[in-house]
Amino acid sequence: MANASINRITLSGLLRAGGAKIAELGHSLLYLFRLALRTPGGRIGLPIVMLYLLLAFIGPLLAPYPATDFHLDNQLESPSSQFWLGTDQFGRDILSRVMSGARSIIGISVAGAALGIALGTLVGMSSGYKGGKTDEVVMRIMDGLMSFPSLLMALLILTSLGASRVNIVLTIGIVFIAPVSRVMRSITLALKTQEFVQSARMRGENQVYIIFREILPNAIPVLIVEGSVRLSYAILLASSLGFLGLGVQPPSPDWGLMISESRRFIVLAPWVALAPSVAVASLVIGVNLLSDGIRQARRLPQGEKEL
Amino acid sequence: MLRFLIVRFGLIAITLLVVSVAIFAVTEVLPGDVAWHILGQGATAENLEAVREKLDLNRPAHIRYLGWVSNALRGDLGDSYLQNRPVIEIIKPRLFNSLVLAVFAFLVAVPTAVATGVWAGVRSNSVGDQVVSAISLAGISLPEFVTGVTLMVIFGSTLHWLPSSSIILPGTSPLTRPLILILPTLTLTGVLFAYIMRMTRANVIEVMQENYVRTAILKGLPMRQVIFRHVIPNAMLPTISVIAINVGWMFGGLIIVENVFAYPGLGRLLLVSIQSRDVPLLQALALLIAVTFSLSNLAADLSYGILNPRIRIS
Amino acid sequence: MNKQDTDIAQLIQVNRLAVTFYTPLGTIRAVRDASFEVRHGEVLGVVGESGCGKSTVAYAVMGYLPGINSVEGDIHFEGNDILNMSASELYRLRGDRVAMVYQDPGTSLNPSMRVGPQVKEVLRGNLGLDSEQAKNRTIELFDSVGLADPDGIGRSYPHQLSGGMQQRIVIAMALACDPDLLIMDEPTTGLDVTTEATILDLVVDLKKRVRAGILYVSHNLGVIARVADRVAVMYAGQIIEQASVHELFKNPQHPYTAGLLTCVPQPPSHDGTIDRLIGIPGTIYDAAKDNIDACLFSPRCPMAQERCRTEAPGISDTGNLRQSRCFFWNDVTPGIWGETETRYDIRQTTTPVLTAKGLRRFYGQWQRKYLFFGPRVKPPVRAVVDVNLEVRAGRTLGIVGESGSGKTTVARIITGLTERNRGELRLREEDLAPGVEDRSHEQKAALRMVFQNPTASLNPWLPISHPILRSLQKHANMSRKESREYAIELLQAVGLAPAYMERLPGELSGGEQQRVALASAFAGKADLIVADEAVSSLDVSIQAQVLELLDKHQREKGTSYIFISHDLGVVRYVSDDILVLYAGHVAESGPAKYVLNPPSHPYTEALLSAAPIPDPDATLDGIRLPGAVPTLRERFQGCFFTGRCPRKIGAICDNTPPTAHSGPDSSEHIIYCHIPVEELKAMQRK
Repeated sequence: MANASINRITLSGLLRAGGAKIAELGHSLLYLFRLALRTPGGRIGLPIVMLYLLLAFIGPLLAPYPATDFHLDNQLESPSSQFWLGTDQFGRDILSRVMSGARSIIGISVAGAALGIALGTLVGMSSGYKGGKTDEVVMRIMDGLMSFPSLLMALLILTSLGASRVNIVLTIGIVFIAPVSRVMRSITLALKTQEFVQSARMRGENQVYIIFREILPNAIPVLIVEGSVRLSYAILLASSLGFLGLGVQPPSPDWGLMISESRRFIVLAPWVALAPSVAVASLVIGVNLLSDGIRQARRLPQGEKEL
Repeated sequence: MLRFLIVRFGLIAITLLVVSVAIFAVTEVLPGDVAWHILGQGATAENLEAVREKLDLNRPAHIRYLGWVSNALRGDLGDSYLQNRPVIEIIKPRLFNSLVLAVFAFLVAVPTAVATGVWAGVRSNSVGDQVVSAISLAGISLPEFVTGVTLMVIFGSTLHWLPSSSIILPGTSPLTRPLILILPTLTLTGVLFAYIMRMTRANVIEVMQENYVRTAILKGLPMRQVIFRHVIPNAMLPTISVIAINVGWMFGGLIIVENVFAYPGLGRLLLVSIQSRDVPLLQALALLIAVTFSLSNLAADLSYGILNPRIRIS
Repeated sequence: MNKQDTDIAQLIQVNRLAVTFYTPLGTIRAVRDASFEVRHGEVLGVVGESGCGKSTVAYAVMGYLPGINSVEGDIHFEGNDILNMSASELYRLRGDRVAMVYQDPGTSLNPSMRVGPQVKEVLRGNLGLDSEQAKNRTIELFDSVGLADPDGIGRSYPHQLSGGMQQRIVIAMALACDPDLLIMDEPTTGLDVTTEATILDLVVDLKKRVRAGILYVSHNLGVIARVADRVAVMYAGQIIEQASVHELFKNPQHPYTAGLLTCVPQPPSHDGTIDRLIGIPGTIYDAAKDNIDACLFSPRCPMAQERCRTEAPGISDTGNLRQSRCFFWNDVTPGIWGETETRYDIRQTTTPVLTAKGLRRFYGQWQRKYLFFGPRVKPPVRAVVDVNLEVRAGRTLGIVGESGSGKTTVARIITGLTERNRGELRLREEDLAPGVEDRSHEQKAALRMVFQNPTASLNPWLPISHPILRSLQKHANMSRKESREYAIELLQAVGLAPAYMERLPGELSGGEQQRVALASAFAGKADLIVADEAVSSLDVSIQAQVLELLDKHQREKGTSYIFISHDLGVVRYVSDDILVLYAGHVAESGPAKYVLNPPSHPYTEALLSAAPIPDPDATLDGIRLPGAVPTLRERFQGCFFTGRCPRKIGAICDNTPPTAHSGPDSSEHIIYCHIPVEELKAMQRK
């Protein structure tokens, strides 16, 4: 029957659908950014985030010195015209380390948040759409996971996996499954009673089609908001892990690690702590401002209609 | 009501079971070996084997887990691998120290955050609201170690008003030196305050748009009465669960804060137990955290039910 | 305007009011030009479709316009302009001199406060009564709005009261300080029709008792005909006609008013014939659009001439205290919208398309006191209990009932969106599986559904062609290319240009969205289309268009319909057969003319009597049902209707469930009632 061919999931079909999904995501992302720029939060947040994104790409190129170069004659030097933000205990240029460190923290956080969003969406949407006993069990497990502070869970997972960049990304992804899946489940529950889903059921569409083609696009605005929230948590989490010495290992420039190490010289050279602190704080503030802006923009009348 | 409690306690039991299995499983795959950790670099094969034998590590994992569960049900949480004494004894003084921090932080943060949240919510988008919102945004954006280190630099090493570290000698109570508590409490308070304040503000703004608030205004009630009788009671309900969730989050904050200030509480103990693969200690701590979280959630749901007539009378 | 009249007892005068809201995404001209006055003791009805600005007018009179806006014109209350009042002046005015009753009483009352104190605080705040006085006055007020047990009700929370009781509380609250002006904004919209009738009775009664002028806002012509003395009709933010209620309904002087009247189903005449509805083409002039030098109604007006498109008509006196915003008001007759034709023609077919026997659906399960043990404490909701029905080829079965009657559950059981617990369902002699996922492709193609909310029934992210194309590909086995060609044909058949294909649902109006939903239901030659409240969320002018499309499709293709609605007027208009549901049970079923003309079952009779009729001179039966629909958790010992039945005959009604017996005129007419057929017949004919 002709119907069978429509129902079958082919590779090319999936690729096409995936491509369409990414295009949709990009489209709505741009749209939301444009809207967000009309709110004060977005107007301040977006440039900050863009600046750090730029640093993540070309920070090491712009930095005055290589991040790991020792200047043993200039240990713990205060800010000067040679070292704008001073040097650390090995005489490394702090400005260069902060600029180069952006790539590591942003890369890890973006990848971790994206992984968490992807896994959480998959779990949350399928569990929510399936409903019934499956949903009950899955959500109980998620509740159990949620009863742990995320930092503790991350510590546990990371120590069992061993500290490496990939493992930090994995850890963040796993930690975010529970909270993301709860958000995505609740939106799926709301959407699946919507009449367009009912009418897709009556047309005889299969579940995979309904979840991905009918429901998912409607969840994209929520997904973007959730993504921005997760990104800020991911940065906090990754830098906290770094601070506890379980994140990126020395001598790579990591903001959390830099702050942690600086504590030994805090009386002598407070500037060593200052630069990475300001960097991590301003980055998270920027992401949070942007996410507030997006959320506000979504609530603008008619903005909802177009989404 | 009874039915509700039965269901909830059942769920808490299941949660604890899931948590303990998960912890056990994770520690099972932890790289490295407890025996090696205890003996250090110079350990010989025989020594290691002897320690393993003593700690009962040679039996299969699921047998050890069942043994642990049956002991735990009898109130015996086992002995720490590293310190060789009952974990309960190790935890007790640490728990007290952490409670002191947590309780102080809550007492400071909750009332101020709720009051500020209401204040800002009823005049949303005014200059005052924007200032408060900006501060709270900074509050949720700053990691505890940044706030902690910054406070330390300012009040400790620069101004010398307060001690930079909060070390207390074993066997003494932190309450004998209250000054050392100020900076850690302040650090914890910052994040708590910001979260609760933002949620309260959002709830107030949402309630302000409800039809019944419009009714109250068009009834000719003065604004004060509209806010105190119609807005605040309804906005407080969801705020309760926000506060409960923060009880759980607190532990995350404690890990960092206690580390920054070298304060001997549960957070530091937890970090040590993870790093040294001290499974019995870790299990006990994890259960403690899960129980605290579940109970605070239950308390929130109960008070929500008591305060919300729609649930109370049905 | 006649000077002497304005001096007599004029209470509020609104002069050239225009309200514009500035939202971040555009300017909304909610009210463009409205002038009217309300006098002591009279009811001015403001009627119009959604988005015409009628509610904005009401809130402007309260001096309550949140958001960024600009207001032109003035609103004089006893000589003072409300729009220029300070906050403290407004505070003295509201509640005390001007009070309001809202749509949706459920959300208008504070959920965490008992209702008594909510009324008391008005009395204490505005009149300075002490607690004891306020309490006594509250009890008086509750009594005066017909609340039995005023004391007990005062101690209830809003969620413990039914919608009708909640609205009575809101009315009592508005009457608390004996206001001079009472504003009622759609006070019965969203309530069940039997509840609506009792609230309207109360409003009519208030007219006699209180000296206040009433500004009554509604979209429902039947309601306006019942309560108003004078009527102002609004269209696109303008008042386009004002007249006394009798003159307006009998002899409209604006083409829009005349058109509205042809859109509403009227009760059939004595010989059982029904006039065909004529819809108003096009859509309402959007509030986002600017004011223009033209009549805003001209694009939809059958009388429009060159002048109407180049010059904006002002509102002008037409004598006899009437006003019209039409250059050619003198030429307006009911006939401008086309001659009325008779619609009633029973299709005489007997082949059943769908038969259902003993359909049953309960929600939830018995809950026990201690989870798995102990006595059973909370029963399941008995949503649908043993419903039988039959739909015949080419005919329409109308299902009518109030909220909680189970009509939507029946629709969902038939379409397989909700699985039945018990019962048999056959489509063309073939069994239908309970769940839609388990039905064959042919069955899915043969059975389609149109939903209530057109906006929700289209995926906001996919072009409107999507559901039509998918239906064609799945149900008519068409290729992509074929389906595109045929989809364009289908769209044209429902009156949408091919250019609509790639539009997103958000770009379409509600009426256009419902046309798309129809087009996708029509794709693939369905035998039976289930329309669940398919026109209920549409404005009357659009409603008539959609009904016409459904009718045309049925005449051409011979499709059968199940048409579900709470609106008896609409059900009566479209149906060949009728099924009346109450509390999950069938009360009565059979051919429309036997069921409704005259009604037999006491519930059907009460429903008919409660339905508002768009004719101020209609005679009213005045049968009213006390109380509210029972909770569906209890199993009925006797008759399902006994708790509210005005014709209860005794203990048998409480103890024995009624069995089916056939009606007086036809064996296809089934009635579930203990009263013998002859007596029912005699009662009704009186």
